[in-house]
Amino acid sequence: MPVIKSWPTLTRYRSYWVALFVFLGICVGISSSTAVTNTVASTDEDQSYWQQMETHGKNQDVYFYAWGGDAQINAYIQWAAEQIKSQYNINLVHVKFSDTSEAVSRVLAEKSANNNSQGSVDLVWINGANFATMSEHSLLLKHWSNKLPNFALTDPDNNPAVTFDFGIPTEGMEAPWGQASLTFYYDNLAIDGSATNRPPTTLNEILSWSAQHPGRFSYPKPPDFLGMSFLKYALVTLHQNSPENIKSQLNQPATDQNTALVLTPLWDFLDKLHPTLWRKGEHFMQNGAQMRRLVDDTELSLAFTFSAPEVPAAVQRYDFPESIRSYAMDDGSLSNTHFVAIPYNASHPQSAQLVANFLLSPTAQAHKQKASVWGDKTVLIQSTLNNDQQALFKTSEPHPSALPFNSIKRTLSEPHPSWVDAIMQGWEMRYGVSQ
Amino acid sequence: MSALSKDKTASSARAAHHKTDRFTRLVKYSPRFLLALLILPVLGGLLSVLLPAFGWAPALEQTTIGLQGFKALWQTPGITQMATLSVATGLISTLLAFLMTLMILAAFFNSLWLNRIERLLSPILVIPHAAAAIAVGFLIAPSGMFSRLVSPWLTGWELAPHGIFPHDPYGISIILGLTLKELPFLLLMALGVLAQPELGKKLRQQHKVALNLGYRPMTAFFKVVLPNLYPLLRLPIFAVLAYASASVEMPLILGPNTPPTLAVAIMNWFNDVDLNLRIKASAGAVLQLALTGSLLALWLACEKTIKTLCSDLLTNGQRDYGGDFWHKVIIVLTTLVIGFILLALMGLVMWSVAGFWRFPAALPEQLVLLHFQSALMQMGSPLFNTLTIGLVTTIFAVVLTLLCLESEQLTAKPLSRFTSLIIYLPLLVPSIAFLFGLVWLQQLINNQTAFFNVAFTHLLFVLPYVFLSLSSSYRRLDPRFSNVAASLGATPCKVFLQVKLPQLFAPILIAAALGLAISFGQYLPTLLAGGGRIATITTEAVTLANGASRRTSAVYAIMQIALPLIGFILAWVLPKCFFKSARR
Amino acid sequence: MQSSLQIKNLQIFRQDQLLLSLDEHVNGGEILTVMGPSGSGKSSLLNWLTGTLSSSFTATGEVWLNGQNVGNLPTHLRHIGVLYQDALLFSHLTVASNIAFAMPKGNKKQRLAKVEEALEQVGLQGMANRHPDNLSGGQQARVALLRTLLSEPKAILLDEPFSKLDTQLRVDTRQLVFDQIRNRKLPTIMVTHDHSDAEAAKGKVIHLQAINL
Repeated sequence: MPVIKSWPTLTRYRSYWVALFVFLGICVGISSSTAVTNTVASTDEDQSYWQQMETHGKNQDVYFYAWGGDAQINAYIQWAAEQIKSQYNINLVHVKFSDTSEAVSRVLAEKSANNNSQGSVDLVWINGANFATMSEHSLLLKHWSNKLPNFALTDPDNNPAVTFDFGIPTEGMEAPWGQASLTFYYDNLAIDGSATNRPPTTLNEILSWSAQHPGRFSYPKPPDFLGMSFLKYALVTLHQNSPENIKSQLNQPATDQNTALVLTPLWDFLDKLHPTLWRKGEHFMQNGAQMRRLVDDTELSLAFTFSAPEVPAAVQRYDFPESIRSYAMDDGSLSNTHFVAIPYNASHPQSAQLVANFLLSPTAQAHKQKASVWGDKTVLIQSTLNNDQQALFKTSEPHPSALPFNSIKRTLSEPHPSWVDAIMQGWEMRYGVSQ
Repeated sequence: MSALSKDKTASSARAAHHKTDRFTRLVKYSPRFLLALLILPVLGGLLSVLLPAFGWAPALEQTTIGLQGFKALWQTPGITQMATLSVATGLISTLLAFLMTLMILAAFFNSLWLNRIERLLSPILVIPHAAAAIAVGFLIAPSGMFSRLVSPWLTGWELAPHGIFPHDPYGISIILGLTLKELPFLLLMALGVLAQPELGKKLRQQHKVALNLGYRPMTAFFKVVLPNLYPLLRLPIFAVLAYASASVEMPLILGPNTPPTLAVAIMNWFNDVDLNLRIKASAGAVLQLALTGSLLALWLACEKTIKTLCSDLLTNGQRDYGGDFWHKVIIVLTTLVIGFILLALMGLVMWSVAGFWRFPAALPEQLVLLHFQSALMQMGSPLFNTLTIGLVTTIFAVVLTLLCLESEQLTAKPLSRFTSLIIYLPLLVPSIAFLFGLVWLQQLINNQTAFFNVAFTHLLFVLPYVFLSLSSSYRRLDPRFSNVAASLGATPCKVFLQVKLPQLFAPILIAAALGLAISFGQYLPTLLAGGGRIATITTEAVTLANGASRRTSAVYAIMQIALPLIGFILAWVLPKCFFKSARR
Repeated sequence: MQSSLQIKNLQIFRQDQLLLSLDEHVNGGEILTVMGPSGSGKSSLLNWLTGTLSSSFTATGEVWLNGQNVGNLPTHLRHIGVLYQDALLFSHLTVASNIAFAMPKGNKKQRLAKVEEALEQVGLQGMANRHPDNLSGGQQARVALLRTLLSEPKAILLDEPFSKLDTQLRVDTRQLVFDQIRNRKLPTIMVTHDHSDAEAAKGKVIHLQAINL
């Protein structure tokens, strides 16, 4: 039997080792479970609404469910977490999801399990169809965002972009966070600007360019947000010259009557487009992040994004070659605001509101807009800010791959959220399974 | 003897008896505890999925028992394609891995090459499925390593060509990934069997006898060694087959999405906002169970058929079946496989430190540490979770396994065949089928501590491997040491702690390293049991695998590989520090 | 032609130390007995003859079988049969299949008949379909013998084949083996440390020295 050097020493104190391990185990267990809840505040009828919020909301955890597919956004959220920790001693935990609907289904599941106050989601990054679903099922806390101190900085009375989400009133259920527009980018080594190879500037030019250079363009598979955005852009643009009664249907809910009428031009367009696409339109990439990667791989030469600043940021991280150039379409850029909302059953609603207020602060918004950080456009209106706050937003020399200033000449507003489902179902039926 | 000392002797005897009793009792109940731990969650999970499949889901206000779930499932567009894809990729990859294993064993049976191949392939074993998928994806993409090596000098490609890998609709990418991952596993399991002292010696001697009787080495392997080796390989093969047909990571990262494999589709339905899809998802889980079950049955049936068909072949006296030719073929194939794996790993490493790396350059333009730096800054919490969950799960698994194996020796009865089969249970039942149900049960019992739920779910998958790894070493302990110690007055507890455990130091470390590796690589259990709130290196890696940055996902894949590797290096080094080995 | 096994100038070295040296000629039907204590290289000799010498040994010399140099052939082409201490019957085959395994290719019925005949010759008639693990030690040894003989070897090596049998069984089995060898005129080399084996072999006896390391 081998001779053990230190075994006698170890075994002599083995009871102490056991106790130590048990103790460590308990420590690990406790520290990993949910944080200790806060104690009740003092008599605070005299304190103002927001001061009460700060007292109750401090020293807690906030589980922020936000899409985690972009390293830059994740890094920004981590920065915000550090700021919030030092200001309020709140642990902001970024729960990453690849699709926001996962957070929605979680809250829905909790509601069906009658979990009305211990929800696992405290704050969720959301807009559009997901907001519509949550609002419809009464899953969101109401009338809180308009009471945030920083909400006034978005000039809500004159700025419908922060009080309407895809045409649906927010009713104080969500606080605005940033703005986005659909912009395009291309590899100028692949699309070199020669006579036969110019970057397309309208939807029809996309079709003709793709026909001449097959296999170098595609869009993410619905229900991916970015893929849906391209389809919505196509839909709105295709109806630009339609008669008014059909065009107005886009702002109305989708019904059995108007679906075929409105969507047929889209299917006709796609039927022409798909054979020219990457992989002949028989396979679509799962999400926008994959599309970005395919451009870096040089499999795609043209792509689009809702977050123009991610392009120069990616170049700085070597995830894009230096030959990438951004631009906006001449026939319009689909634009929308994205928000943060609080589920009705959040475990830490006050803390979540503190976080939302911070996210709306000039410091956080300016940091977010920096191209090197995230580059997401602010929702604050400059005229409401004082000089110091305005100075935070001054920009420096733009990156060669960044979207040139004032590129977006026309904005297209989002159609009614119900059209997302209609397009989804129609797409799934026609192209969902490759033959 | 005076009355006082008589009392003392009696009481000390009683005391000693009492102490023995507690330890022995603890040990005696361990196997039952182990069985309960493995059976109850799996069965409970299955039941919690079976009921909604047939319409019983009170949480969704559905209590009409019927087949509406299955009807909805049947009407899903592409359902037959999903099922075919799952079955085909599972079967073909297992078959390929199995055949390659046999060929490698046959060709290199008594040569030194077998040891060398074993040492080359053992580290590959610890690579989790997600990292392997990422590495394979890098290799076979149109802009991957293969294309870069031959472009543009051979092919003239300046832009990445139009290709179908990965995500091809036939599932070839999935098959490639699965085969490359399962081949080392099956090979090392076979080598493990051959390493058992009695069986291995017997098989090698019989192989020698066959050689003396004029049989070519390869033919001798197939006719003499394989019939005795195969029954011991059957369970690992089933585990591989079950996993391959129901896995989620590989098809997520390498598979098509129009439609995806059945397991991926089920996951999407369970996660959908529309809760009514849960019924369809449960029906899908039942279908998946049926598919995997029929694959296992099919394999068994083929096995029996081949056995009857070939029984004549065994004794017909033919000594050579074109052995030279096949030997050369196998050498080429083995080199290809090893080359493939090495190239994939090299690609992984290069991507993790790559600056600009435009196609078709074979090497990156710059090497930067930026990706590691930024990843490490964000990795703190997932890393912590990965390590703590792994440690907690593994320690528990090792302790429980040791107690069960000890009970075998204390009760002088080997573990029943039933128990040995149950140990494999979590590996044979598709996790997509029972995990959702299990998670639902966990939510009912305990909603707040996600950590505990995740650790518990990991335990189900770690236990089988830890048990398999420790059991052979434990059973080979020379019983005479324990007998000597007992004759010297040591209680069973003392014998266990001071005689058996020190002898098992190295095997325990290896089993622990294996358990850690398994826990580190879990994806679906972490995702579901933690409700997405517990991020581990693996969950991050899978999310990033289909993300925008190959470089970041390469970094995470390397972390996924590094963690278990460190565990194994520790398991290899620590015994050398603690033990003085006898020098000749 | 007279069958013969010839070892020419064999020298086996272990780590540059000479283990044994041999130069012998064995005619068909003759049994050369090699005796010596453990460590003297008896097994190495047999390994070298079958072509399975371990890599920790080196050897020079030639082995000629029936006038052919077989030293360069791999094991399975040398047609040298070996009987070991353990019968090493294949447990996945019946007794008859074990023997049939060793026979060259041929008509199935003919082979079966030959097996039956051989079993009768050694007193094992009716045991054709028994499982080898169910046989006694002596019966297993006889089946092993049949298996080796029916593979039609050109020479036979015996590696202490009777040492696991008790005295009376030993005598009977030994007699059987030697009779078969003499009938088929096979040159044989037997390794043993039992003197009665050497006497019964009635052939030349070589004693190997023990090498002290």
